[in-house]
Amino acid sequence: MNRYDDEITDELGRDMELAEALCVFDPAQGDPNYWLRFRSWVLGAAAKELSRRRLMAQPTVGDVVLSWARAVVPTALVTALLAGVLLIRESALNAPIPVGVEELLVSEIEGETIPMMLEAEEALVVTFASEIF
Amino acid sequence: MLTDGDLVRRARRGDEHAFGALVERYQRPAYAVALSVTGRHEDAEDAAQEAFLVALDRLEECRSPDRFGGWLMTIVRNRSKNLVRREALRETDEVPPGARSRIPTPDRVAETSELRGLLKEALMSLPEMQRQIVLLHDLEGWKHREIADRLDLPCGTVRSHLHFARRVLRTALQQVPGAPDFSMRAVR
Repeated sequence: MNRYDDEITDELGRDMELAEALCVFDPAQGDPNYWLRFRSWVLGAAAKELSRRRLMAQPTVGDVVLSWARAVVPTALVTALLAGVLLIRESALNAPIPVGVEELLVSEIEGETIPMMLEAEEALVVTFASEIF
Repeated sequence: MLTDGDLVRRARRGDEHAFGALVERYQRPAYAVALSVTGRHEDAEDAAQEAFLVALDRLEECRSPDRFGGWLMTIVRNRSKNLVRREALRETDEVPPGARSRIPTPDRVAETSELRGLLKEALMSLPEMQRQIVLLHDLEGWKHREIADRLDLPCGTVRSHLHFARRVLRTALQQVPGAPDFSMRAVR
């Protein structure tokens, strides 16, 4: 503590007598409505700026669209990305197996076709031309 | 009760009630600070009112809305200094208009006038910081901590300034006939 502290700590409270004397500087001393008028004057002068701020704070159609866009665009992007990944994975699983041309020519012909034809031929009565004449 | 921060955030959106509450909360300290710089009622009133309008215009620049009071007092001091520079040669009536609306007795007028004259002389002999501190503390009832926070000073410095300012003012008041007896100081 310095040498002033002893003197100063005595005066931590409000000096009411000095306060009373200083009241001569309070404009409300002789006019109780002074501060009400002060406040009204300030609010009157600030009305235009306050109104501008209210307008700025009100959401316009553009703001609404933008706020929607802010939510919708990232969601759509994420969804598209997920769908893309899923499609790529799906198509990778069902990818066509490479088949040769010869294999393709016989791929849907049943193996019994030729024996069946032979059987049918066997069933027919074969008549030679030489026998007719 | 809403904090300064809440009121500032609402005022930024144009809430008239919030801005009105801020004006109501700080109009007296703003006037006291302006008076401590200008020393004249009309200039103090102009500076304090202008400061509120400037504060509203620059509300986005108030980086710590909870410390609005300190920020506003800086604006008040700057506006007051500008006003003093601008109107250095202007002659003004130092009596608040409201004080004239009363019809006081001639004795009362003489007493008040003498007291005001002596106090004003004593006040203006103080450094600006001491004037601000004594007006904020003894006229507006701000606590040391509040003054320290809002004027951005250490609490010990506030107490020290207050001590010296009071000593000067008491000496001046002892010259006023019928003034309170400061030898029996009442500290409440």
